[in-house]
Amino acid sequence: MASRAVDRRGWWNYFAAQQATLLLAVIILIVTVLAYLGFYAAQFHHLPNSFAWDSTITNALPLVFVGVGQGIVVLTRGLDLSVSGTMDLTNGLAATHMHASLASMLGWTLIVLGVGAAIGLVNGLLVTVGRLQPIVVTIGTMSILQGAAAAILPEPGGSIPQAYTNVLGNTGSPVGLVFVALIIIAWLVLRRRPLGFALYAIGNDPQAAAANGLNVARARIAAYVLSGILAAAAGLFLAAGSSGGDATGGDSYLLASFAAVVLGGVSFRGGRGSMVGVVCGAGVLTVLVNVLFYAKVNSFYESFYQGLFLVGAVLLGLGVTAFTSRGRRGGAR
Amino acid sequence: MSAEVQAPAPQRSWLARRSATQRTLAYSFVVVALLLAVGVILKPGILSGSSLRIIAELASFVGFVGVGQTLVFLLGGIDFSVVWVLNAAAILVVAQAAGHNSNLPVALVLTLGVGVVVGLANGIGVAYFSISPIVMTVGTNGIIQGLALGLSKGLTCSSCGAHPAPALTSALQGRIGGVPGVVLVWVGVILLISLLLSASTLGRRIYATGVNPAASYLAGVGVKPVTVSVYVISGLFAAIAGIMLVTFGGGASLGLGDPYLLESIAAAVIGGVSVLGGRGHYLGTVAGCLALIILVTILNAEQIPQYAREIVYGGVIIFIVLLYGREKRVT
Repeated sequence: MASRAVDRRGWWNYFAAQQATLLLAVIILIVTVLAYLGFYAAQFHHLPNSFAWDSTITNALPLVFVGVGQGIVVLTRGLDLSVSGTMDLTNGLAATHMHASLASMLGWTLIVLGVGAAIGLVNGLLVTVGRLQPIVVTIGTMSILQGAAAAILPEPGGSIPQAYTNVLGNTGSPVGLVFVALIIIAWLVLRRRPLGFALYAIGNDPQAAAANGLNVARARIAAYVLSGILAAAAGLFLAAGSSGGDATGGDSYLLASFAAVVLGGVSFRGGRGSMVGVVCGAGVLTVLVNVLFYAKVNSFYESFYQGLFLVGAVLLGLGVTAFTSRGRRGGAR
Repeated sequence: MSAEVQAPAPQRSWLARRSATQRTLAYSFVVVALLLAVGVILKPGILSGSSLRIIAELASFVGFVGVGQTLVFLLGGIDFSVVWVLNAAAILVVAQAAGHNSNLPVALVLTLGVGVVVGLANGIGVAYFSISPIVMTVGTNGIIQGLALGLSKGLTCSSCGAHPAPALTSALQGRIGGVPGVVLVWVGVILLISLLLSASTLGRRIYATGVNPAASYLAGVGVKPVTVSVYVISGLFAAIAGIMLVTFGGGASLGLGDPYLLESIAAAVIGGVSVLGGRGHYLGTVAGCLALIILVTILNAEQIPQYAREIVYGGVIIFIVLLYGREKRVT
């Protein structure tokens, strides 16, 4: 059924409408990695060893997870500013409560993910049942969560069991790739389920989605719950990677999660983009820090180049979209 | 005929006959009055001259940033770049003047110019390249942050630690009739922006564009120039807020702008400005600024710890918008 529709419209049109921005995200990731290799090799006269790769992947994990959560909400034309607060809180919870026993580690992982889901549920209910704007709701919950995080962990401290760090924050083996693969597989499964379909439908046209019998409120709540769970997971990765807690550790991830979504080719107008792209976008941002470091850019100028890179990538994406949607009415936005 | 039309009118209350914007404006000032009443009960000293003076001055800083955020909201956009435009302006006005009055005019022109240029870039990106406002302003925020940190070497440059030029401090912190100069400037800005929104062509075009850009374009509104001018105003006022803040704090610091993104958004929202565009007024944002600062003053006076303040702060914002900031039911 779907393939016949594709045949009629032509393979190129289908590709242009659905996958061009994803392809662009992959290309940008490859170019960034090549730049990293170039600058690294120019300095050390050999390619990065496995430790450099493993630690880069591990460093990317918090942004990968929080970015995908943000991307799912953005897909429904929403916005989740509370992800940074969720990361602060979950990071603090793990650092203050987790002990080096299997039961404690598993139990607290589940509790923390549950806390993330509950936060997402509150956001989702306020947005749908409360009929409030997502940006307003999540600013409020962000402030509450940051306060709660500061109450649990007034100053950086706490500890994460070494065994936990070995699994979630291991810089000595490519175990991080397993988590990246897991989230990509989970997304590919989800987007073929009714919920994934609903997320795209709501983002494209909420009224049409409702008129066609989709439960818009339920799907939007689900988007915020997923974002909460993924932000909580990001908080765990952050804690494991730094083997301790910091109640403000998640704050810098808010704008970074937007940047990962943008570089991943997800439209802030909703309904377009793939979370595989967001994973690439998070990778780009992480590798970019390495590129700037090995290019001997003064670290004060880091955010200058990141901002320039972001705006440049968006312009490139718009150019590609304009090119691939030539002659199609109401082309991909 | 006229009798038929008039017949149902008396049944509607005064409030119900106002527009949505006027209604939420009224609610937001009720919130200010209620918070002030709570303040008086908990801490009678809140109505003293010195207490009111500090409330007005702290509210004015949010109010300057809030000018831009309000206008941008009216178009359905958002401006994340206010954070580092403010901080860069604070650094520039201090470092360029290096404590000497003679350098002040150049420093002021440069500082306001930075705000205008960033606003111009935001506006052009949003209007002419249809980049999402979130993306564009997050990008320019990073660019200006990097430039500010890089050029001032992380605020370690020789003149970065200087005090603001004495003439600037005495003009803005000096008092006329007990009112600090900063607050007098804010009163002027409130009048100016209210006139702009309620009685000028640009104001009508901003509302028209926010309600329906396509229809406004067909009706002859230059949607793109209007968008650019709104982002320019936002950049300009973020820079003005930076200048005001250095005279209050006695110098520039890193992270000076961080609280003002959320506070300016919260003030506009409490004031009934819709983030979807077309609804709200700067007077509402003014009420929102006052409400936030009075709330903070009460929490400080009660010696509530910082973490609890953040929790109450977030809770109150959500509570207030639940009272009158809800969207219409989509049927």
